[in-house]
Amino acid sequence: MPDRTLHILNKPPEHYRHHLCLEAIGPEDGLVFIENGVLAVVQLPTSAPDRWYALAPDLEARGLIGQIGEDRVISFDDMVELTATAGKVISW
Amino acid sequence: MPERNSEGFLEKPEHWYPEIAEFIAREDGISLSENHWEIIKFLRDFYRDYQVSPPSNRLFVKAVRERFGEDKGNSIYLMQLFPGTPAKTACRIAGLPRPTNCL
Amino acid sequence: MSTLIIIDQPPYGSWEGREALDMAFSLAAFDQPVTLMFCGAGVNWLRKGQNAGKVGQKSVERNLAAAPIFGVEALLACTEACNRYGLTQTDLLDGVTVTAVGPELTSRYDHVTFAG
Repeated sequence: MPDRTLHILNKPPEHYRHHLCLEAIGPEDGLVFIENGVLAVVQLPTSAPDRWYALAPDLEARGLIGQIGEDRVISFDDMVELTATAGKVISW
Repeated sequence: MPERNSEGFLEKPEHWYPEIAEFIAREDGISLSENHWEIIKFLRDFYRDYQVSPPSNRLFVKAVRERFGEDKGNSIYLMQLFPGTPAKTACRIAGLPRPTNCL
Repeated sequence: MSTLIIIDQPPYGSWEGREALDMAFSLAAFDQPVTLMFCGAGVNWLRKGQNAGKVGQKSVERNLAAAPIFGVEALLACTEACNRYGLTQTDLLDGVTVTAVGPELTSRYDHVTFAG
């Protein structure tokens, strides 16, 4: 678990940095979609790692909460937990 | 005398000439020696090449050290030549813009 | 603690890239290892022959040339973006290393951060 990088992505799929994040992500890394980043869940990129999640309030705000499995939906507290246990965090 | 800002820096570095340096240095109570001129010339060349003043005092010292070595690239030496904040004093005399990160 | 600063915005359109450059120089001033990486439209920072006076700005090409003097460890350019903007090694500032973005790259640094 430690030493893994947690990537926090708040840019929509068309944003260059969204693309860059997916390039830089390793298969063992974690990925959390927040803010406009959650729009990616509609058509999840193939390069998303196994451990990916999306922030509940941002999904709900955009009417996307029903689009993905419950196990992918996380609260603010969950995100803090993921951040605290990650070896390194990159905010894209 | 070319235009200067409220802190005494030249508005346009290209308007600088050596007598200006003498004049500004006198305001700071400095009489320019060969050692001063060496640093002033270095800063003029630095600005010509990189279009920027060393942004902080630390980077000024570092750049001088890169060019002249430890003997001159240290804050005590530069402080003796250019009292106050050496980067600021030296850039003002050399007609360069104010280093951005010097208070 | 090593830091990778990624600049993915083109030069001259905004101040964010210059702020990132300032951040890099400040880290270097305190002898913190720092590398600058140019991605996306950001690779246009590295093109030789800029005449920024025409838009009333200082040349980022010239400013960047001071990076090694201040102690910035490396200047990197994203392979994909260089291809996209027609930049070959000879078009780039001296001392720039072209490399791919990927987990191998980001894992080499303790911190990865961005301009803007």
